[in-house]
Amino acid sequence: MTVVVGWTADARGHAALQRGAQEARLHGEALLVVNATTGTSTVDDRFAGAADVTEVRTQLASLGVEAEVRQPVVRDVTEALLAVAEEVDASVLVIGIRHRSPVGKLIMGSTAQRILLDARCPVLAVKATDGR
Amino acid sequence: MSAPADRAADPSASDHPPVDHPPADHPPVDRAQYGLAAVLAVVGVWTVVDSAGLGPGFADQVVRPAAFGYVIGSGLVLLALLLAVATARGDRAEGEAGEDVDLSSGTDWRTLAGLAGVLVATVALIDWLGWAVVGALLFAGAATVLGNRHWVRNLLIGAVLSVASWYGFYVGLGIPIPAGVLDGVL
Amino acid sequence: MDALLTGFELALTPQNLLYAVVGVLLGTAVGVLPGIGPAMTVALLLPVTYNVSPSAALIMFAGIYYGGMYGGSTTSILLNTPGESSSVITALEGNKMAKAGRAAQALATAAIGSFVAGTISTVLLVALAPTVAEWVVVLGAPSYFALMVLALIAVTSVLGSSKLRGFISLAVGLTIGLVGTATGQARLTFGNPLLADGIDIVVVAVAIFAVGEALWVAAHLRRRPLEVIPVGRPWMDRTDWGRSWKPWLRGTAYGFPFGALPAGGAEMPTFLSYITERRLAGKHRAEFGKGAIEGVAGPEAANNASAAGTLVPLLAIGLPTTATAAVILAAMQGYGLQPGPQLFEAEPELVWTLLASLFIANTLLLVINLPMAPLWAKLLRIPRPYLYAGILFFAVLGAYSVNFQWFDVALLGLFGALGFAMRRFGLPVLPLIVGVILGPRLEEQLGQALQLSRGDVSALWGEPVAVIVYLVIAALLLGPLVLRLIPGRQGPERLEDDIDALEEEVRS
Repeated sequence: MTVVVGWTADARGHAALQRGAQEARLHGEALLVVNATTGTSTVDDRFAGAADVTEVRTQLASLGVEAEVRQPVVRDVTEALLAVAEEVDASVLVIGIRHRSPVGKLIMGSTAQRILLDARCPVLAVKATDGR
Repeated sequence: MSAPADRAADPSASDHPPVDHPPADHPPVDRAQYGLAAVLAVVGVWTVVDSAGLGPGFADQVVRPAAFGYVIGSGLVLLALLLAVATARGDRAEGEAGEDVDLSSGTDWRTLAGLAGVLVATVALIDWLGWAVVGALLFAGAATVLGNRHWVRNLLIGAVLSVASWYGFYVGLGIPIPAGVLDGVL
Repeated sequence: MDALLTGFELALTPQNLLYAVVGVLLGTAVGVLPGIGPAMTVALLLPVTYNVSPSAALIMFAGIYYGGMYGGSTTSILLNTPGESSSVITALEGNKMAKAGRAAQALATAAIGSFVAGTISTVLLVALAPTVAEWVVVLGAPSYFALMVLALIAVTSVLGSSKLRGFISLAVGLTIGLVGTATGQARLTFGNPLLADGIDIVVVAVAIFAVGEALWVAAHLRRRPLEVIPVGRPWMDRTDWGRSWKPWLRGTAYGFPFGALPAGGAEMPTFLSYITERRLAGKHRAEFGKGAIEGVAGPEAANNASAAGTLVPLLAIGLPTTATAAVILAAMQGYGLQPGPQLFEAEPELVWTLLASLFIANTLLLVINLPMAPLWAKLLRIPRPYLYAGILFFAVLGAYSVNFQWFDVALLGLFGALGFAMRRFGLPVLPLIVGVILGPRLEEQLGQALQLSRGDVSALWGEPVAVIVYLVIAALLLGPLVLRLIPGRQGPERLEDDIDALEEEVRS
């Protein structure tokens, strides 16, 4: 069994990663960190750079968690995350969420909501500590 | 002028090309360049033939209307020959690089075909439906083909853009773009 | 001087100032945005501006032209993906500086250097252009014909790596220019009355620059996002100023003449500026390749100075030497203005307002670029489907608004396919556009020259200026061949190889 974390290079992604690492260590499971992007814009802030990835790898190694970081370029981030969770038969899928205004949800749709509704494994939703 | 496929198009590559594409699948000779040379030669010959059919112009005219056509047309034919020779000797075209361009993967013919379809539909419909409608369809179609799947949102943005640009041209710039089917509505 | 002051008075009217602001904002934005350059932007705006006053439109275009240079340096420093050839050199040291945590200083020296170079070059432009115009206006048709041949040969053979491809592009452009009516007869119109007036340059320019580019990028879209280096507000300390001011001035000295010569472009002066700075760096020599501020200051100044320099042949002779200048020339023709020496006599107010607005644009650019560089970098987050769909949208709108005919949109698509093929086959775009614009004028001047001499061809080299120009053309065409024969020397067509070698060297 594997703990899958939907990671983004921001505060809520960080929160999800911390929680995911805890879960993995607690249950002695492997950790799979997924940082996906659609690549539709030249720069994607939520897509981690090489420095971020190295930092996360060393941090996880120091925690003694067996971890893998994947950075796929996909058509749909939500679908990709769900597909990975299914592929590795995830014990739990950890995602970071943030508050969204109703209008924002209407226009942009909610990734978190789609994951919560469509995932076949338990989903753990974490909020960023600094409220971002 | 369209270029035939110079590389074997990997069907999966048309969707999401792999980041590391092996350069080994380049054929030794850039065969598509022969196609370019052929097109240039045809245009050149046609230019010369068309020029030959022109009358002498005014009686005292020194540079006849055909003169430039002869020079440019034969120049094109000569350049086409040179290009064919250079190609045979291993000359390869280097595609233009850019900030958003990744030349390491092959040409994405599916997206290209989609955009061509959108443009053809625009040409076919623009006189009938008018700019406000066709512009919205053009934007939404192009954005969807280019990989944004929220087509309802694309259509909304397109509609806002096209109606706003229609009014902008009509009222702001005094350029009366025909309204098409929406005549009387806008 | 009085004329320039009048120009300032007119340029500072609220309406013209507004166009200048719009121009520099648009210019910086398109400089930052991937895939859009100033030439494409001016082309897309051509149809819109036919209904505003020519001076307002030209002020806006000048702002876009200068602004594109500023914006381009921002991306080459923060992303290491130079969009235009002129900022390749900036990326060498600039991106290294940014990676070493000195992005703010790199952006500052680029922006301030661009301002310094732009201002000095605009002063030179103001001093030179009227003089050149006075000198050119007395020339007869044979000399003018020779100058146009020079411009065509120069943009074709010096820029770009392959002369063959340059000439192919030029010949295609000249062929497009043939379409229309010659002394009352339809030429190359395929019997189509819609082509009797020739192909509108707006349609060709928009198709080649906008549609061709959008199709090309769409077919080769880079999917993996690039890493942008986070940056605060650009600033420099005393040491940086001390190390920057001399490269700025030297870069200007390289850039302006190269821009003003009908063939210079920005690649050569930025390259020369870089190697000069590296040679003169002294104790900082070791920093080159790891982020030396001199290597950003010099090339950026050269880059902007050459942009100002290209306005000398454009305004004084009516010869475009860069893609943007070519489109601006097309715009002037669209307004019914006769670009070239006559312009200074026929439309002094317009010319001086434009020149004055260059100073204003340059100052505005410094003001909006220094504090707002991080904000501009945010433009890179625009989803590309919207960006390129928007380009196609405005391209079709522009082509359709010329005559409200589906036929123009069809032509747009056809020439868009040509633009795609040109990018695929590495054919340079500039010779084609210059060929379309200058081809008909070339024919006209040749006709005039030979009409006066009653068909005596020797009249073409009957003026001393014409002879000199033909000698220059011969030097341009044969020079590289001769240089190649001398061992150890390299001709200008080796520039690209030099740059490649330099990049290798710096990267290793």
